Amino acid sequence: MPSEPRTPAEPTLEELSAYLDHELDSAAEARVADHVAGCDECRARLDGLRETAHAIRALPMETPPRRFTIPEQRRRGWRWAPAGWIGSAAVALLLIAVGIQNLHLPAGPTATSGSFSTNSGGLANAPATRSEKGAVPPLSAPSPFTQQFDAQSAGAATNAATVVDSSNSARRLVLDTDKTSYPANGRMRVTVQLIGSPSTSLQSADQGLTLTLVRNGQGVALRPVGVESFNGTPIFGGWYDLASFPLSPPLAGDYRLQATWLIPDGSGRVLQVSVPVRIAG
Amino acid sequence: MFPSNSLNDDRDLVGRARRGDREAFTQLIVQYQVPLYNMALRMVGKPDDAADIAQEAFLRAWEKIRTLREAPFKSWLFQIAANLCYDHFRRGRRYGVMPDEEITSNVVGLGIATPDPQERAEANERTRLVRDCIQALDHDMRIAIVLRDVNGMAYEEIAAVLRVPLGTVKSRIARARAQVQEQLQRHPDFFPTTEDAHAE
Repeated sequence: MPSEPRTPAEPTLEELSAYLDHELDSAAEARVADHVAGCDECRARLDGLRETAHAIRALPMETPPRRFTIPEQRRRGWRWAPAGWIGSAAVALLLIAVGIQNLHLPAGPTATSGSFSTNSGGLANAPATRSEKGAVPPLSAPSPFTQQFDAQSAGAATNAATVVDSSNSARRLVLDTDKTSYPANGRMRVTVQLIGSPSTSLQSADQGLTLTLVRNGQGVALRPVGVESFNGTPIFGGWYDLASFPLSPPLAGDYRLQATWLIPDGSGRVLQVSVPVRIAG
Repeated sequence: MFPSNSLNDDRDLVGRARRGDREAFTQLIVQYQVPLYNMALRMVGKPDDAADIAQEAFLRAWEKIRTLREAPFKSWLFQIAANLCYDHFRRGRRYGVMPDEEITSNVVGLGIATPDPQERAEANERTRLVRDCIQALDHDMRIAIVLRDVNGMAYEEIAAVLRVPLGTVKSRIARARAQVQEQLQRHPDFFPTTEDAHAE
């Protein structure tokens, strides 16, 4: 008699949450994936956790309100002692020295000072991206002055990627959309943050910002509208009706939304980032 | 692809800073000031308090960097800042500080900018709700979810920062997400669930 297919045990809340973060070992990850594929209730729980994580990750990264500095000299780790203490300490040291001279100890190992370590090694070096997935090959070969990051995300509720300027880590280009997949008559919400821009202009041309939706080397340019966050970071974006785009038929397919930022400081440096966008048939 | 070699860069800069090179340490400040400040901001709520914590963390790190041996600088620095956040709470500051109204009204929410004032207002409201939900968490859960979802740290790195076992990190993050989710679901106009979206 054939046995019934076994459904893997229902994952715990911790397992579902860690599954989202790719923090389970491969066996546990496979077990959770198998279960979720056949369980509507757990899939809904997983979706809920994913949406929550995305809502938190979408909080804007704020620029500090002031510069952080260190003093010319380190703060003193000691203080002047009152003269009486010094006198007492000197007497005590003298007595100890005399006592040691009169002792005949066998030779032994020299005492060593302990080393200080706050934790064990082997920590992950977190990439400077909020994307859930890893990187994929770039759209085109970048120039030496171009830094590029392309996010790969399938089925995520939101879609985001960040690239950090290697010459100035306070400067970063952040691109995100509200979804990864849209109906052909849908609206796509796009946000581009120019963190650490040398310019405060909210004109995309002044900022050197272009936004394109590309497929097979062809695409349409999107006109970004600028607004300003409270901390002065220029933010561009808006809602775009996909039906209004002059795209070549068939409209349905996999695209990449690409933001390119020619940093307006005369250096010629370019930051480029892209996220996947699917238009359903 | 983003060329990331920050761990090696850190080692070089930390090595120079340990020998008293202020410029090297200043580069470390530039590298970590935004993520460190944002961690503190999401923990304590007020920009001025967060900036004070970040400044003090950098100062202590500069003073103690000669004691740093094998531990990664990033984990060590965030550990200092996390301790300062806990000190801040212990000093009797308000629990779950609400952001100033003036700041709330000017924040562009969820990283979303739209040309439509109504959309912008809705985005502001979404940001405020998420921020309030994080502030309502207890400190242990809050710092775990902030390090994960704001700072993007791996679980092992969070465990090192907080000096707790990996299982504790996993549990705190999961429970924090569940609590935030429960709170956000009370605002279906701003946070429709996947089921709501399918029902439309």
